[in-house]
Amino acid sequence: MKKTLLIFLLILMVGCSKQYTKAPEVVVAPAGKATEQMAAPEGIEEEFVEEVISTGEDRNISEAVISPEEEALSVFKDIMFDYDKYSIRPDARPTLDNVAAFLYKNKKFNVVIEGHCDDRGTNEYNLALGEKRAKSAQGYLSSLGVLPSRMMIMTYGEEKPLCMGQDEICWQRNRRAHFILVK
Amino acid sequence: MKNKYMYKGLNSSLLFLVCVLLSVFCLLPFADAKIYIDITDPGFRQIPLKITTEGSPYANEIKWIVKSDLEKTGIFSFVAPGVAGAEVVANINAEPADKLKIVLTVTDLIENREVLKKKYDASKSIFRTVAHAAANDIYKAMTGQEGIFRTKLSYLVNVMPGRKELRMMDWDGYKSRKVVSKGLTPSHTWSRDGRSLMYSSERNRKWSIYRLDLDSYRESVIFSSEGLNLVGGASPSGLVSFSSSKDGSSEIYILDPYRKSHKKLTRSYGIDVSPAFSPDGTKIAFVSDRGGSPQIYIMNSDGKGRPKRLTFEGNYNTSPAWSPDGRSIAYVGRINGKNQIFVVKFDGTDLRQLTNVGNNEGPSFSPDEYFIAFDSDREGIRGIYIMRADGGAQQRITPKYLNAVAPEWSPYLK
Repeated sequence: MKKTLLIFLLILMVGCSKQYTKAPEVVVAPAGKATEQMAAPEGIEEEFVEEVISTGEDRNISEAVISPEEEALSVFKDIMFDYDKYSIRPDARPTLDNVAAFLYKNKKFNVVIEGHCDDRGTNEYNLALGEKRAKSAQGYLSSLGVLPSRMMIMTYGEEKPLCMGQDEICWQRNRRAHFILVK
Repeated sequence: MKNKYMYKGLNSSLLFLVCVLLSVFCLLPFADAKIYIDITDPGFRQIPLKITTEGSPYANEIKWIVKSDLEKTGIFSFVAPGVAGAEVVANINAEPADKLKIVLTVTDLIENREVLKKKYDASKSIFRTVAHAAANDIYKAMTGQEGIFRTKLSYLVNVMPGRKELRMMDWDGYKSRKVVSKGLTPSHTWSRDGRSLMYSSERNRKWSIYRLDLDSYRESVIFSSEGLNLVGGASPSGLVSFSSSKDGSSEIYILDPYRKSHKKLTRSYGIDVSPAFSPDGTKIAFVSDRGGSPQIYIMNSDGKGRPKRLTFEGNYNTSPAWSPDGRSIAYVGRINGKNQIFVVKFDGTDLRQLTNVGNNEGPSFSPDEYFIAFDSDREGIRGIYIMRADGGAQQRITPKYLNAVAPEWSPYLK
């Protein structure tokens, strides 16, 4: 990977230094698959400003593997619901697809799905509504092949709000299903 | 096993009961049981009552509690000492002694005779209970009916997000104490004999229904399963209604805690929740979204027949509570974006809105059905309020700093 990048930058530099001239026809590269042609088509003169930002030699690219826990942070986003509804909205599907893919890939992890509501309803009904929301998410995920036994349903109704304000922005943030990774 | 999260609470009342049994004696019975006021008559006239005191300062302490109790009923007008116009005098005499020794005398000034003379011996630490008992006796002498001044309210306090604790207090908001502070406790109900509380708690991501014996303060699990289990109410024969999603969707069930058996009453895809037993135990009011929005339905508690829809106004009606005579149901309805308390006859007629400021939720009738307790955010932070069942005389009974919700009125307590 480092090598490829080096070659790429080398080519770029060579290409740049031959400004206003025809591009070289052959770029000599070490053995390997990294034969990239930076040549402009014949007969066309290209004008551009050049500036070397980095030679690539100092660049230190980390190749550490991303742990499932880290990946889950970006995959497990809350999905939102409409007022007094528990159907999955189209905007929630990409997140659910990602959650399903994650669970497919990481078999030793399971998920807790928490359903939440805004505080306008009454408490008991909201507990039931929150559970319905979590179950809608569970149903969608199981339709994508996630075993129901890997998904634990929990409801908190309006008891654990993210946002305390009394406006639609806040209410929307609170009407959610939340995913928690468990081993 | 005694739960360390429980707090002793009823011992003082028990002690008082024992004291009453041992040492209270009616010097005069309810003679010829004259009814001074018929409170079922809407056009009744207030009784002009004067309360006088003698003896130790405790007499005065008790007088203020008695007056506050009687005042809330709206059926008395109070005549200051030294002013003419009283028709009835209640005299509270407290003997200067280590223990509380009170003699209550109620005199009819029109007929110039003693209506009631009663003695109360108790520990000074329970003078509030003695005062409520005296208020009950005055009330009964005047109306012929049981007073509710020794009843209690159980309610919930929002301690922090995700934690709700169960508490109990006297009907006037005093003597509040913790009952259960473990986990998240969102629903609760009294047994019909007033000797136990049943409640649902979420502990370690599991919803169970518990029963707390108020004599021993022992807690036991009466129902537990996967899913959401919320207790509804108790029937006269000791059955418990609850909702559970153990089989998938939330349905209404009846639990027989003695046989440890339960029976499913509803089968619908949507939400069925908040089942309240009618006072005679034959019907259950509950909330369902089977019609597209949450509405209140009534069904037979044996599960036979189709549930009948009760509410048609608005698209959000929840939290049904029966009146003790079984004729009306109080509930929460959403109107103009706010939750309000409504009362409707069980056949759907005579719909009345009782509140109109802020959000008002969680109605519960007093056992004599003259009051409704509820919670409201009208003054900012939520608190417990009481009002007369016609919506009159609404007042907060919990302190302003306490985030308190969901009152449940006890039955008559001894």
